[in-house]
Amino acid sequence: MKREIAVYGKGGIGKSTISANLSAALAAKERVLQIGCDPKHDSTRLLTGGRRMTTILDHIRDTGPADHRLEDILCVGYREIGCMEAGGPKPGVGCAGRGIITAFELLDKFQLKQQYDYVVYDVLGDVVCGGFAVPIRREYADTIFLVTSGEFMSLYAANNILRGIRNYDGEQARVAGIIFNSRNLADESVKVEAFAEAVRLPIFARIPRSEAFAKAEKAGKTIVQMGEAPAQLFEEIAERIRGELALYPARPLTDEALEELILGAREQAHVRKQAQAGAAETPAEKIPAPELSPTELSSAELPAGEAPSEDAPAEDAPAFAYDPGVLSKNLIRSEPLHGCAFNGAMSMAVHLRDAVIVAHAPRSCAYLSWQTISSTGRRALFERGVLMPSSLMPNITATDMDESDMVFGGTERLLEAVRKAAGQTDAAGRKPKAIIVISSCPAGIIGDDIDQAKAFSTPDCPVVTIKADGNLAGDYLQGMLMTYTQLAKQLVDPQIKPQPDTVNIVFEKVVAKNTETNYQIVREFLGRMGLRVNCRFLCDTGVDEVKNFCSASLNLLGYRDYTGKILEEFFETNYGCRFFERQLPVGFEETAQWLRGIGAFFGREHEAEALITEHETEYHRRAEAVRKDLAGKRLMVVTFNHQLDWVLSAALDAGMEIVKICVFNFSQDEGFRTLLPQAEGIEIEENYDPDKAPEEIRRLAPDILLTNYESDAAAGDILVDTIPMCPDVGFFSGLEMIERWTRLTGAGRKGSWHKDRALVEKYFAR
Amino acid sequence: MTDDYLENMVPDSLSGLIFGFEGIRNVVVLLNGPTGCKFYHSATADNQMLRQMSFDPHNYPMLWYFGQPRVPCTWLDKRDYVYGSEDKLKEAVGFLHENVTFDLLVIVNSPGAALIGDDLERIAMEAMREAGADTAIPVITVESPGYSQTVMQGYQQACRIVIDAFCEKPARRSAGRTARPKVNLLGLSIFHKYYQGDLQEYERLLSLCGIDVQTSLCCESEIEEIRRLPEADLNVVVDPDYGLETARYLEKNYGMPYVCPDGLPIGFEETERFFTRICEALGCDVAPLIEDSERARARSFLYISRINSLTGQPKGVRFAVHGSPAQKLGYSRFLTDYFGMSEDAGDIWETDAKLVFADGNIIGGLKARGHLFTGIETGMPSLGYIDVIPKTHLGVNGALLICEQVLNGMV
Repeated sequence: MKREIAVYGKGGIGKSTISANLSAALAAKERVLQIGCDPKHDSTRLLTGGRRMTTILDHIRDTGPADHRLEDILCVGYREIGCMEAGGPKPGVGCAGRGIITAFELLDKFQLKQQYDYVVYDVLGDVVCGGFAVPIRREYADTIFLVTSGEFMSLYAANNILRGIRNYDGEQARVAGIIFNSRNLADESVKVEAFAEAVRLPIFARIPRSEAFAKAEKAGKTIVQMGEAPAQLFEEIAERIRGELALYPARPLTDEALEELILGAREQAHVRKQAQAGAAETPAEKIPAPELSPTELSSAELPAGEAPSEDAPAEDAPAFAYDPGVLSKNLIRSEPLHGCAFNGAMSMAVHLRDAVIVAHAPRSCAYLSWQTISSTGRRALFERGVLMPSSLMPNITATDMDESDMVFGGTERLLEAVRKAAGQTDAAGRKPKAIIVISSCPAGIIGDDIDQAKAFSTPDCPVVTIKADGNLAGDYLQGMLMTYTQLAKQLVDPQIKPQPDTVNIVFEKVVAKNTETNYQIVREFLGRMGLRVNCRFLCDTGVDEVKNFCSASLNLLGYRDYTGKILEEFFETNYGCRFFERQLPVGFEETAQWLRGIGAFFGREHEAEALITEHETEYHRRAEAVRKDLAGKRLMVVTFNHQLDWVLSAALDAGMEIVKICVFNFSQDEGFRTLLPQAEGIEIEENYDPDKAPEEIRRLAPDILLTNYESDAAAGDILVDTIPMCPDVGFFSGLEMIERWTRLTGAGRKGSWHKDRALVEKYFAR
Repeated sequence: MTDDYLENMVPDSLSGLIFGFEGIRNVVVLLNGPTGCKFYHSATADNQMLRQMSFDPHNYPMLWYFGQPRVPCTWLDKRDYVYGSEDKLKEAVGFLHENVTFDLLVIVNSPGAALIGDDLERIAMEAMREAGADTAIPVITVESPGYSQTVMQGYQQACRIVIDAFCEKPARRSAGRTARPKVNLLGLSIFHKYYQGDLQEYERLLSLCGIDVQTSLCCESEIEEIRRLPEADLNVVVDPDYGLETARYLEKNYGMPYVCPDGLPIGFEETERFFTRICEALGCDVAPLIEDSERARARSFLYISRINSLTGQPKGVRFAVHGSPAQKLGYSRFLTDYFGMSEDAGDIWETDAKLVFADGNIIGGLKARGHLFTGIETGMPSLGYIDVIPKTHLGVNGALLICEQVLNGMV
């Protein structure tokens, strides 16, 4: 692509007309995309013949992220110009600035810009909040034009835009100059020229006030298409853009200086007019600008195909690859979001134990995340005296964004926090090995660009940014997925070659109580087979281990659920990593198969068989022992779990009959999975309606009801037991659960406290 | 690495607001924001002020409760931040009107929602009208949660909003006092770890002095009690960090006198001193309370003396306190003056104290760093102990509990 051009100006100043004509002129020789960034979404109207189009934001609102289609929002206009409108809310509601950010995020996923030579952004410049400043950000516009007239408010807006640019650029040069759109006001040239001189910018072009614009407007066309003067002017502007374009840094004025300048210019003009006694105004131009040469073009016919393709079907839009990235189930299904991506990202990132996590957030967000992170550790410490460092002392610091950050932006505060974190050392004199910046809702809404923190990145301490933007990116699971994939993309070294006898464990559930004990069991199994773990991705691991991710010959999934499968595909596709087909094993059959599979992969079949043999006799002895109590008993399962082979196989081994498995919709998983050969004969109902449970339990009359939450749905003598979301790995998990049932059968085992429910209503009403 | 970066994250005014309003009986606090801001507040409000018998998420509708009993929310997402939250708010209010019985509806913006500037009050009123709701049901809207302001500021803002909404001016104070004077308790919230035990103890001690409690503002208070708040003879600030500003507000706008301790009145002597001030203000007899305290001191003496004879402790035992300013002052004074212990007032993460009075995060963090000490919980979050019997660190019984925890912690 040659250039990305942002045309900024006060509302109503004519920037859309100028943008459209500029696009039309550029499109004579190159491919042009024009993106309107004004909520009133009429930037491209003159290029499309006034055709109504779906705005990007309306499209985002009405479709889920997996269903976004470029052809729904890209319209092909005059000279094949790609036309898009960001759109936005109706006045007085919502946040139009945030809308621009959201729209640009989608455009990035389409990788659309690469298909064009020029991209023209037509941007409202009255409000230079973080959202409307998006096109200024360096990864977007490389060339900026300011459209202004001689009106004070227009110049004021232009100066504000320069401030916005300076905030992003400093002394970098990106401003091509001022496009002076004349209103034929008194002393107008003097003021604009004085302003241009003061901010040291050229007046790139002067657009005369002409009836031709109104005429073209009425026709729904550009004057370039109409071929009427001053179309030639735009052709000349386009030609200059195609050539070597001088760019200048933004040097805004203070409000006081601006006011003084404009008032001063007015006085100077008055003096000059008096002196010149009516002579034509010929202000000295400090920087050359194209002559006002509104050459009358003949009404030459336009080449065929150059007229706006009013009837062009949407399907004519080129087919672009849309990469929405990894998406959580909530996002794909357009379900209500459970939790926020910020929290999910924070909860995962703290497991990089030698990194520092900088939460760009108000105190409340950081606090809520810390509670999520620490709750597991607190309970583990209290219940079992287990110390979980990542949970109990997470490496978190926060920017504590306050009211002034919401108004003036919080980037400076963020940069200070990152600078401070990068400079700190621990008691042993070690600096952090990475800094991970995660953004909250407010940071995302006001448009803080957390990527600026990457300026502090060094080879020894990379700065990784995760733009969770609170829940703007999605739910808790989405934040987890973003952290997994962003840390991988920004840290994993793909050049590392797989090492023998080395594995990674990918996707353990860090909030489960038994994560550490499960890992110890797995590590013992692996150790017995002579295998070592390089990285637990992401659970209590280090930056170096993540960098060396590719050193593993085989990757072992903790859970082969929705998230696990996404991560498997991600690493296979991007790094060519190999994954074992089974998740960490729960129950005898799974454990035996898991050991045999890994043993076969690494040539350790004997070691695997030895492990199985050690436990096999005991398993069968204990399974036989419970048969006398459980054989023939009817088991019904009503659950959020999507994988239950570990307990179902034990129940079947004990001779139980499984009458039905009812699976609720769950925000973090989908698709009930079983490898049991007996599953074909069992009724399994997914997306189960909980309201059906009481009637079905009565009808099916199970002896044992297995659920996640013990409830009163099972009245009478039915034994109800709860099933853990994250069961213990190893040979005996399922067996231990059904052994428990043998102890629970019999009258009175529920406890007489059950009878006191009415007393709660009587004495404890809330 | 962790040693250098760990800070104790504390809640901010968003939590103070929500817990303040949640402390009113039969209220619905609707969070206009994402579920990420909801889950913690619902779980904490429910753990503190029990309402549900089961954690089964199916007991509560997905919309708008997301399987929890408290703090329904509008689950704003990126679309709502652009287009506004009006549609979801109206739908949620309609649902609540149809399905939930409440005396007060409070709508609080999340930090993100506050930035988009939706007119909450107009939307709420329209929603209630469109739902056909009883116009007598009050609706309160809070547009800004106060970014990174303290939890105490948020809580006191909630108190002030409630006062403005329900208390008439000028105060309807009776010309002559009734037989038993009444006080309001200010500065207790459901976010206080032992608030139920605190309330019970204050009610017990006040009753010994012949004083009744009119209401404990925003701490298990009913709206009708709050309406009658100005009828009380005196405002008693329990925790100055959470209640002093409210007391000043009531004094200025309602002419209500107040008494306020300089820190949390922890321990026998501070309790006696504080309740003596209350009784003096109301012309009541504090003697029964003093006798109650002396009996407890006698009991405490026996236990301390026995340990002391064996070990020479508790004098000189190092302790550290982490908490609000009022907590630090209150605990430090009692532990130093009564037990003769020695305070480590430095950085909590560097402490070598044998007894640490703090919340569960601090205690857990210190344990994870390998510190050897006994942690005594004074605030939220907890490590996980479930208090079936209401406990307190305030009043006479609170002093006894601290004595018990100190003696067991030292040995």
